[in-house]
Amino acid sequence: MFAVAAVGILVSMTLALARAFLGPTVYDRILAANTFGTKTVVLLAAIGFLTGRPDWIDLSLIYALINFIGTIAALKLFEFGTLAHTRGRDRE
Amino acid sequence: MDDCPILRVGAKIMIPTILLFGLYVQFHGEYGPGGGFQAGVIVTSAFILYALIYGLDSTRRVIPPFVPRAAAVLGVLIFAGTGLASLLAGGRFLDYDVFAGSPQKGQHWGIFTVELGVFVAVFGVMLGVFYAFVGRGRPQ
Repeated sequence: MFAVAAVGILVSMTLALARAFLGPTVYDRILAANTFGTKTVVLLAAIGFLTGRPDWIDLSLIYALINFIGTIAALKLFEFGTLAHTRGRDRE
Repeated sequence: MDDCPILRVGAKIMIPTILLFGLYVQFHGEYGPGGGFQAGVIVTSAFILYALIYGLDSTRRVIPPFVPRAAAVLGVLIFAGTGLASLLAGGRFLDYDVFAGSPQKGQHWGIFTVELGVFVAVFGVMLGVFYAFVGRGRPQ
């Protein structure tokens, strides 16, 4: 059961990766990378139950948190060109 | 990012959760995956998220730039001090058996102290690296 789910998640991760490479705009790529991270969270949980080590839930939780921060950082870098400032584009 | 209410509210929800999870990873590291290094990185990522949403200057008011430097040094001091304390207590360097009566309790407290040192050092170094990279070309 978990093996089938893991294979299905891997297939959808491949599709997300293809979109990340082919994506015409940068937002397609960022969305694909974010989707890839979300699928990684689910895949980690599935593999954890597949191998009888539910400790992996911790790892997938951390991956979810870091993935959120990474997506925001990438979006901010593309929008403003720097990670530092807080105002809109016209203020700085 | 003053004009992103979703991100601001989302960050307010996420940051305490990340800090709590970092503490869980720190104190649960003896029984599951985790430990001082991972907990330091997770707690730092909470402050990095704060810096991304609320700006570097606000983060520098929350944690002044001397704090990461001091924390990096303090962590190494805690780590090495544990080793020296075990030397002074009659064991070998980082030999926890001599702490706290029985070897089991000594191992427990020794690991705990060393992980605390690793946590403080990793937190300081990671936040210092973030400040150094993001603050390039800006006044201190």
